[in-house]
Amino acid sequence: MGRLGKRTLRAAAAGIAATLVVAGCSGQALEGGNEDNASGGQVTLKIAFWGDMGLDKLKAAYEKDHPNVKIVLNSGEFNAQHEDLQKKLVAGSGAPDISAVDEGFIVQFRSQADKFVNLLDKGGAEFESKYLPWKWKQSLSPDGKQIGLGTDVGGLAMCYRTDLFKKAGLPTDREAVSKLWPSWDSFINVGKQYVSKTGKKFVDSGTNMFNPVLAQQPVGFYNEQDQLQMDGGPKIAFDTAMKAIQADLSADLASFQPNWDQGFKKDQFAVLACPAWMLGHIQDTAPDQKGKWDIASIPGGGGNWGGSWWTVPSQGKNIDAAVDFVKWLVQPEQQIEVFKTVGNLPSQPALYKDPAVLDYKKEFMSNAPTGQIFAATAENLKPQYLGKKNGPTRVAVENVITRVQQGGLKPEAAWAEAVKEAEKAAKS
Amino acid sequence: MSLTQLRPAAHHRAQPPKTPTKARLWLHRFDTKTVPYALIAPFFLLFGIFGLFPIIFNGVVALRNWRLDDPTLTGWAGFGNFTKLLSDEDFWNALGNTFGIFVLSTVPQLIAALIIANLLNRKLRATTWWRIGVLLPYLTPVVASTLVFAVFFSRDYGLANWFLSLVGFGQDDPLDWRAAKWSSWIAIATMVNWKWIGYNALLYLSAMQTIPKDVYEAAAVDGAGPWRQLWQITVPMIQPVVVFTVILSTIGGLQLFNEPMMFDENPQSASGGSDHQFQTIAQLIYKVGWKDLNLGYAAAMSWALFLIILIVAGVNALATKRIGGGR
Repeated sequence: MGRLGKRTLRAAAAGIAATLVVAGCSGQALEGGNEDNASGGQVTLKIAFWGDMGLDKLKAAYEKDHPNVKIVLNSGEFNAQHEDLQKKLVAGSGAPDISAVDEGFIVQFRSQADKFVNLLDKGGAEFESKYLPWKWKQSLSPDGKQIGLGTDVGGLAMCYRTDLFKKAGLPTDREAVSKLWPSWDSFINVGKQYVSKTGKKFVDSGTNMFNPVLAQQPVGFYNEQDQLQMDGGPKIAFDTAMKAIQADLSADLASFQPNWDQGFKKDQFAVLACPAWMLGHIQDTAPDQKGKWDIASIPGGGGNWGGSWWTVPSQGKNIDAAVDFVKWLVQPEQQIEVFKTVGNLPSQPALYKDPAVLDYKKEFMSNAPTGQIFAATAENLKPQYLGKKNGPTRVAVENVITRVQQGGLKPEAAWAEAVKEAEKAAKS
Repeated sequence: MSLTQLRPAAHHRAQPPKTPTKARLWLHRFDTKTVPYALIAPFFLLFGIFGLFPIIFNGVVALRNWRLDDPTLTGWAGFGNFTKLLSDEDFWNALGNTFGIFVLSTVPQLIAALIIANLLNRKLRATTWWRIGVLLPYLTPVVASTLVFAVFFSRDYGLANWFLSLVGFGQDDPLDWRAAKWSSWIAIATMVNWKWIGYNALLYLSAMQTIPKDVYEAAAVDGAGPWRQLWQITVPMIQPVVVFTVILSTIGGLQLFNEPMMFDENPQSASGGSDHQFQTIAQLIYKVGWKDLNLGYAAAMSWALFLIILIVAGVNALATKRIGGGR
């Protein structure tokens, strides 16, 4: 017994010694970090976002005016950035000082409003009157905390390939094209003409028919009491997608995936529902198609897809500096600068009257007046409430549409399946 | 040290053996009794932090309600998460997929590894070149190789469909590998096999080289052909390694995540195909935890997977011990 005790003791002592070594190392590292931060009142702000949000020039300008602030830009992949933010919020540390959050994720984060700085406590209320009311409301938590200030909105238009339209004997002028499709039914008819003339597909996928149509409905998947409403908007959008698939218009490509990018280059589709931020994506994916794209109005009019907010997680060490920077970022001059660099449309309606926005022409998109086009769609937009389970429900219904495209499900049986899957997602 | 030097050196005058001092004795005791523990302690420490603690913490979370999108729902759930599991068709579907892909990958993989190891064990030109060669897929980062395979198995411009069209299949209507269970399982199993065959072959090879040559010579004299030698001598004699690889591939196969995840057309959804054709359990856990934001339920699934792996690995190990002449 005594021997065993001694051995155990010895093992424990060795373990503790090893622990101290490890702890010693980490302790040192931690102290070093603190020292660095405290020196000379210098503040470092880490900003997480995805793609290009037009911050490079703005960062330099802000740092010049605020010599004590250093801004670190961290651009990552869209989903990874949101997931990383969620994990750091759970862990309680490690989150960036400022994080961009997209429309698809804002619902998830506004229900965790206690983990973000309530911008109303920091003088954010003055901005309310400047924003599109629905944009302001989307980032407001149920108990009235404002977790973010809006950057851009994704008012919808329809991008189309002028060269492919010409080959199919369709008009190419943006006014004339817009007149071709006042409704989604007429849009599908144009698609049928295109397919029979060229033998190619018209739209990229059925889900990219479903989503814009759904965005135009007064009520989406959920009503404001967060109850699933499949028989309203979703049914209309689903039927439109089915009609397009049955008319053989769809190239069956999943958005933002390698096959989709291939599809751009190989002319597998001729139109694409495009919010303002999509222009940058087209330009990056198919740079050699400069001048071959143009923008017409979207069938049915209006609708929003995407758009983001700047949020400040409350675990940060430099909350006040972060809030100051966000407030500066959403000022008109900076918002117009972002619009000009990357094309993201501001979410403050006063800017839609600004000559800098109205007169802007996008060279890549055949010099289309993108400012005018997107400002008009954003102003005519019917705001839609996004339920708590909006994201998973959308994925579930999109999957059903994909199954129809893959041939695993008959279009007649698809709606019942979509309702079943949506109900499952609502309960998940 | 003089303590270990039994023979005195020739040019030195023989010295009377030194009586070790007390301090020296203590040092010796310390060196042999304590140092081993100190050296092995970092492993247990790291295992405790990154292995044991998460498992236990996971078990606690599994018994609780924890929803990120609903902070008000909290507290103990008892076995609620586990009973929900029993009637969750997504879970059973994922379990079926995992086992299907597991069988399709592990069985061909280990048999192929055995045959390749047997070939490598013969006298070959450029032996080292061949041996390194079979290990190359293992060295490729899984994300990189899976991305290449995802393109290889793509519907419109995939190489796999091009090969099929050469032999006359699917020229007009190319095969959508992700659409059906059987085709997606084959595609994913191919990725797993490609990666692990070489690794297992090298393990088998090293075990085979410990088998004395005279056993084979005796067998050859008795008239046993190469095939019979493989199954009657080699496999029984490397059996411990076979058991080891079976357990290892059971653990790996049942935790399959990267391959189905990146094979999916829409990886963000983690749904494993439009109809969950190839959603594995690890993928479902990820979806429930980080997409549905239900951490309690995801933790219960992880624990269920842990238990399933324990059972299956145990059964497989027992079954493997019985092969090869029931040693």
